[in-house]
Amino acid sequence: MTSNQLVFLMLAGLAALAAVGVVAFPSPVRSAISLVINFFILAFVYFTLGAQMLGITQILVYTGAIMVLFLFVIMLLNLGAPDAKAKVSGWQTAVAVALGFGLFGIVAGQVILPLSSFTQPRSAIDYGSPQAIGQTLFTGYVWPFEITSVLLLVGIVGSILLAKRRI
Amino acid sequence: MQDVPLSWYLGLGLFMFSTGVVGVVIRRNPVVVFMCIELMLNAVNLTFLAFARYMPAVLDAGESARSAWMAGQMMVIFVMAVAAAEVAVGLGIIMAIYRLRNEIDLDEMSALRG
Amino acid sequence: MNGNPFDLIWYVLGLPLAGFLVQALFGGAVIRALGPAAGRRVMGALAVLPIVAAFGLGVSLVYNLIQLDPSSRNQVVTLFDWIRIPSLWVPFELRVDPLSMTMVLIITGVGALIHLYATGYMAEESDYARFFTYLNLFIAFMLILVLGNNLLMLFIGWEGVGLCSYLLIGFWYKDLANSRAGNKAFIVNRIGDVGLVIAMFLLVSLIASQGPSFVFSEGRFLSYDVLLSQSAINLYVANPLLTTVIALCLFVGACGKSAQFPLYLWLPDAMAGPTPVSALIHAATMVTAGVFLLNRLHPIFEASPVAGAVVAMIGAFTAAFAALIAFGQTDIKKVLAYSTVSQLGFMFIACGAGAYWAGMFHVTTHAFFKALLFLGAGAVIHAMAHEQDMRRYGKLLKYLPITGATMLVGWVAIAGVPPFAGFWSKEAILGAGLGNHYAEAANQNWGMVAGWIGLGVAALTAMYMTRLTWLTFFGPKEQWREIPLVDNGHGHDHAHAAHHDHAGHGGHAHEDHGPDEHNFFYTDAEVAARAEVPAHHHELDQTHTPHEVPISMWFPLVVLAILSLGGGYVLYNGHLFEHWLYPDGLALLSKEAVEGHPAGIPLLQLSIGAALLGIIAGLAVYWRGLPAKEGWDLSRWSPFRRAAANQFGYDRAMVEAGVDGGGFLANFAWKGIDVLFIDGIVNGLAAAAARLGGLLRTFQTGYVRSYALVTLVGVVALLGYLLIVAQRAGAMP
Repeated sequence: MTSNQLVFLMLAGLAALAAVGVVAFPSPVRSAISLVINFFILAFVYFTLGAQMLGITQILVYTGAIMVLFLFVIMLLNLGAPDAKAKVSGWQTAVAVALGFGLFGIVAGQVILPLSSFTQPRSAIDYGSPQAIGQTLFTGYVWPFEITSVLLLVGIVGSILLAKRRI
Repeated sequence: MQDVPLSWYLGLGLFMFSTGVVGVVIRRNPVVVFMCIELMLNAVNLTFLAFARYMPAVLDAGESARSAWMAGQMMVIFVMAVAAAEVAVGLGIIMAIYRLRNEIDLDEMSALRG
Repeated sequence: MNGNPFDLIWYVLGLPLAGFLVQALFGGAVIRALGPAAGRRVMGALAVLPIVAAFGLGVSLVYNLIQLDPSSRNQVVTLFDWIRIPSLWVPFELRVDPLSMTMVLIITGVGALIHLYATGYMAEESDYARFFTYLNLFIAFMLILVLGNNLLMLFIGWEGVGLCSYLLIGFWYKDLANSRAGNKAFIVNRIGDVGLVIAMFLLVSLIASQGPSFVFSEGRFLSYDVLLSQSAINLYVANPLLTTVIALCLFVGACGKSAQFPLYLWLPDAMAGPTPVSALIHAATMVTAGVFLLNRLHPIFEASPVAGAVVAMIGAFTAAFAALIAFGQTDIKKVLAYSTVSQLGFMFIACGAGAYWAGMFHVTTHAFFKALLFLGAGAVIHAMAHEQDMRRYGKLLKYLPITGATMLVGWVAIAGVPPFAGFWSKEAILGAGLGNHYAEAANQNWGMVAGWIGLGVAALTAMYMTRLTWLTFFGPKEQWREIPLVDNGHGHDHAHAAHHDHAGHGGHAHEDHGPDEHNFFYTDAEVAARAEVPAHHHELDQTHTPHEVPISMWFPLVVLAILSLGGGYVLYNGHLFEHWLYPDGLALLSKEAVEGHPAGIPLLQLSIGAALLGIIAGLAVYWRGLPAKEGWDLSRWSPFRRAAANQFGYDRAMVEAGVDGGGFLANFAWKGIDVLFIDGIVNGLAAAAARLGGLLRTFQTGYVRSYALVTLVGVVALLGYLLIVAQRAGAMP
């Protein structure tokens, strides 16, 4: 067990716990907080992968904007209290969990295991740097870039429309 | 990082994804369901990045192959952008429903019943 | 028409048809124009004359026929082609030969006499023209039946006379019982017709299997010259089973028309029609169509001894059965009806035993004396104010001398006392039965059995006819004098036989839609319209004096009496009739097989003895009139007589079986098959579709989460399949 692996394992463990927490906590607020933690940890995982730019973007966009939005909504709708009503019926939970395990098992067994021989990164060291990303984004991927900006515009207009009381 | 096998990253991603799926099916609060969907999207991001790092489409970093070589990260950027727009609109819908019914509980909404 | 003298036969057929058309189109108008009395005289004459003319033509044709050599006495005249298709050719053709001309003479001769009688009997009938329309039409159809040269022409006539029988039985249709009797006759006839039609199909298939050049027929498979040719006879002999089936099917048809057991039950009900109808149709002509059919197609029956035995035994059984029933009847017409059924049974005994000519002989003599008896009974009924119950008669001879004398002749004729007509024909029949060696089946000579039964029935016949005659014309006293005085203002008939206008109808309350007390449906307008016709009717009570009938009615009686007296002897003498019909003998049977003179049995003595025994027994029992246990009090009747009065339960059983059986079948077809089965399938399919839809609907819960769960299940399954199964099969890297 090298030190890298140890670090990764710690990060992965925390992220996994946070993910379970999202699903398991009855209170929406706690679910949101778990998700924030998860996203944060995930940014560090991105750092270990050498994708610095994306790691920072993860923190900025996901935890900084999206999760804040979530928390705002939870606060506005007063969803802080745990789900008071009866939980989902037991058998549905059991089936869902079983299916989750099934999904994990199938994909792990058939897809991931055959790839266990790849243990060394093969991309260049600075492939995750802002320069590299910027160069690719604005030359090779300029078309999707522009479209995405239109998409964001649509999202803005839509959400404003939805928020109005009287159209 | 060196020495960390690809399969570990993929395993983490898969775990997050499965958890997210279970959460979508189990939870009754639409906001929480949304959050689980975000979890799934992030798992996908992680998977893309892991593959971009360990199994890039081309192996040399020459100029001509740059697009293919950076494809994984590009994917992640766009997923993030789309997820952001989607969250904005989705939460707007949830607000609208709340204003209408004064409660949001997926098990109460069965207007599409056949 | 090229000068063939036998073309005159078309006129024989055409004259009654013309009479029918005249009566139908102009009858009512003429009567309305000339007034009831004169108009009816005119239309009556116009009805009788065509038949008389046809009879004259028939006589001349017979004369022409006699001039010919016996073996060429079968002339066929054709008018046009009715059906001409490659596989079948049926021309509209008539056959002039001894058999058909005999029937023509009977039909037109006796028919003319009955028409004359009917002009007197129906003189006060308001529907005068309609009656003679139907009567002439009947004669026309009957002539088609006997003259046609192929089975399809016979069938036309067959159905036509059935139709006219229905129309005439239900002549007074406003009385529901008469209509029902007409229905019964028609329907039972149709049941018999199934046999005839099947026989025709089988015959065509048998003959046609030989190809159209068979006997140079070119497809005329139903014509008699093909069916009776030697090659055809060889064909019958070569196919015994099929021939037997054909023969039996033909006999079923004959049973329907000639009222043999089990299809006889329409004939007693047919007495609801006017008496001339009963005389013409149900005594002299239509009911003999069955015997005629057997005579026409005798080779088929000759080729099948089994069929002969069946015919003879059924004839014998019917004769006995009907004779026994006659003892329980008190209505004079009903006794005569059962007597007809019984005598028809005799004719079939003869035909079954192979002596077809004897059957025809009895047809002839029976036409004479039965028509005489029916017309005489009609005269008695007419004289006794439409009373048909014999218990009200007695000592009528002094009031009705002519009627009485002629009916006595008829009585002795039917009893079979020589030298009257009935004796000769009956002896011929009994001789054929007792002396035959042909009608054998299962090693038993059924012809002989039938002959002995026939002998017994002859005695019974004499006895019940004596009963009838004695009670009517003799007896200790005039029974109707016992009836208390009845107010003549309005009458209540016992009989439904004739209907006369009532004078006092104004006092009745009539609704437009309900029946009056006689079950007649009239509107007030009709009653008012009839009021001007003089009422000539009063109720039978002790003051009634019967009076003799007019000449139009007793003249035919006298003629028929003369024929009943001497006709038999003339025809029998020297085997005249037998040689006239079958100059070359029968087709297959030798003279020895159908000898007619049984060895070792004193037939002459036996038959005369049976007749005299019956007469004496009848006189002995009924000398003092009807004994109390056959009188008005039904409870004093013996069980035998009560059963006989109800046809031993047969009629009721048949009607109930038909009605209840038909009702059961109909209900089963409705509730069981249609509602349960067919609707069940259709509705069941709809219900199943609905249920399936309901089942599938449970998936559409409207809950997003359950949709998501189902989606997850699908995804996992798909992934599992693709990643595990397909990979193992090598479809994926």
